[in-house]
Amino acid sequence: MSHNHGDTIPLHPSSAQSDMDEIESLIHAAPSPATVLPARPPSPTRASIPVSSSPAPVPVTTKPPLPAASIPISVSVSPVPVPASVSVPIGADGFGPPPNTLTEPVWDTVKRDLARIVSNLKLVVFPNPYREDPGKALRDWDLWGPFFFIVFLGLTLSWSASVKKSEVFAVAFAVLAAGAIILTLNVLLLGGHIIFFQSLSLLGYCLFPLDVGALVCMLKDNVILKIVVVTITLTWSSWAAYPFMSAAVNPRRKALALYPVFLMYISVGFLIIAID
Amino acid sequence: MDEGYANLPTSHLLGSVPAVTQDDRKPSPPAAQDAAATSRLQEFPPAPGGNGGGYRPPGGPADGDVENQADWKGYFNVASYAPYFNVDTDVVVDRLISSIYPMDGFYRKIDANPDMYGPLWITTTLVFMLAAFGNYATYLMQNKKDLDIWNFDVGYFSWAASVMYGYAVIVPAVFFFLFQYFGSRQSLVRFWCMWGYSLFVFIPASVLLLIPVEFLRWVIIALAGGASSWFIALNLKECTEGADLMVLMASASVLQFALALFIKVFFFA
Repeated sequence: MSHNHGDTIPLHPSSAQSDMDEIESLIHAAPSPATVLPARPPSPTRASIPVSSSPAPVPVTTKPPLPAASIPISVSVSPVPVPASVSVPIGADGFGPPPNTLTEPVWDTVKRDLARIVSNLKLVVFPNPYREDPGKALRDWDLWGPFFFIVFLGLTLSWSASVKKSEVFAVAFAVLAAGAIILTLNVLLLGGHIIFFQSLSLLGYCLFPLDVGALVCMLKDNVILKIVVVTITLTWSSWAAYPFMSAAVNPRRKALALYPVFLMYISVGFLIIAID
Repeated sequence: MDEGYANLPTSHLLGSVPAVTQDDRKPSPPAAQDAAATSRLQEFPPAPGGNGGGYRPPGGPADGDVENQADWKGYFNVASYAPYFNVDTDVVVDRLISSIYPMDGFYRKIDANPDMYGPLWITTTLVFMLAAFGNYATYLMQNKKDLDIWNFDVGYFSWAASVMYGYAVIVPAVFFFLFQYFGSRQSLVRFWCMWGYSLFVFIPASVLLLIPVEFLRWVIIALAGGASSWFIALNLKECTEGADLMVLMASASVLQFALALFIKVFFFA
């Protein structure tokens, strides 16, 4: 090998090593500031972050500026990650970046979403002075509420059924979910002005009375009672959905936009009555 | 989906529903685009000497020159289907009534402004009615015979949906292609519109079919099927205007009657 080595005279003395050795020697050697410093952030900001609360594995040994003399870096070889990408859980104590919803406790998130569902429900389904103003009602729409109501209705119907339980759930879920989308598209095609997801959200929230009705019908299996309960909750649901839908289209086409809503609720009501 | 709604005038309004003024249905395009849209309604499907390409959604981008590139995007744009829903309540009611009343003015009514609202919601209503009343009718029949084995059959929903949507979409398309093959230029949208409205007579029929007397049921369905076939035959004759295609018209009528019989046998057994 020395014979071959003598043939090709390397220009750089370090090329006599293998590639890996070369890399390692470069790392262990004194790096010029130009190659290392750009990867490192300005230090003072880092120093203010309390290290004790940080779960991020910031290697402490690489924090101080690399000395000219070669210090064996045993912890990590890669350059220190830029802290802007590390979310330090500071909380709402005023330090650093504002609290983001990624780092708050799960219970906070759930509580906030539940509060929103309840407030939307109160706005849409129960009488209140803001109902007639479509701009205010459901301004803060969300899709969790509709999702829960649709799934709950499907589950209740499925529990009530004695045969073909999974098909009952599938039909109920498909009718409600696809129905909400198609109803919204219907209003848009008729030239109405609604926001797509706001309308989906509203049609889902208006299912709440039918949910209550389905629960009552599941617990008590009398046909007359079912008919009465479903009729009451059906009118309640339709009354809840009416102002929003009718305000969204041209008055000459109001019936065209409202009829499919009634159709959907009536068919779900029929499902509730007939499932035994 | 976002791109489709960017074309709607309300996309800049977040979280509020503006009040609808009296005279705006689509506020941003002026009468020019409305005229262009309705004029393109006459051309749909593509002109005979034209490119022979696929379905061309009318009224997509406002300018005709841009259509070549944005052609495929028109399929996914809700606003490009809006011209087919350009009807008011009274217009729809008028068309519904004339679909069961045996006069032959129907085709003239839809010629200028065929709508897809009618076919879509008539078939959907029929799906629910067949499933609901079909179940109820079988319950009544079993009650009469004093059998105690009735269960609500959820499968009726799936069957009704498949049959009605399949029939309403596929049969007019097949006849459209057959007419094209025999040289008579028709409009696919008008066929869909016509077949859709022809199904309206089955809605009151399915209510009447609840009567648990078997002979009466057969009479009712025969009448409904006959009315529907007559409607189809009459309107096909009018829109093909004398092209001698009696075979196609006869087969359309027979198919309609066969649908009526199927409804009776499957749902109202």
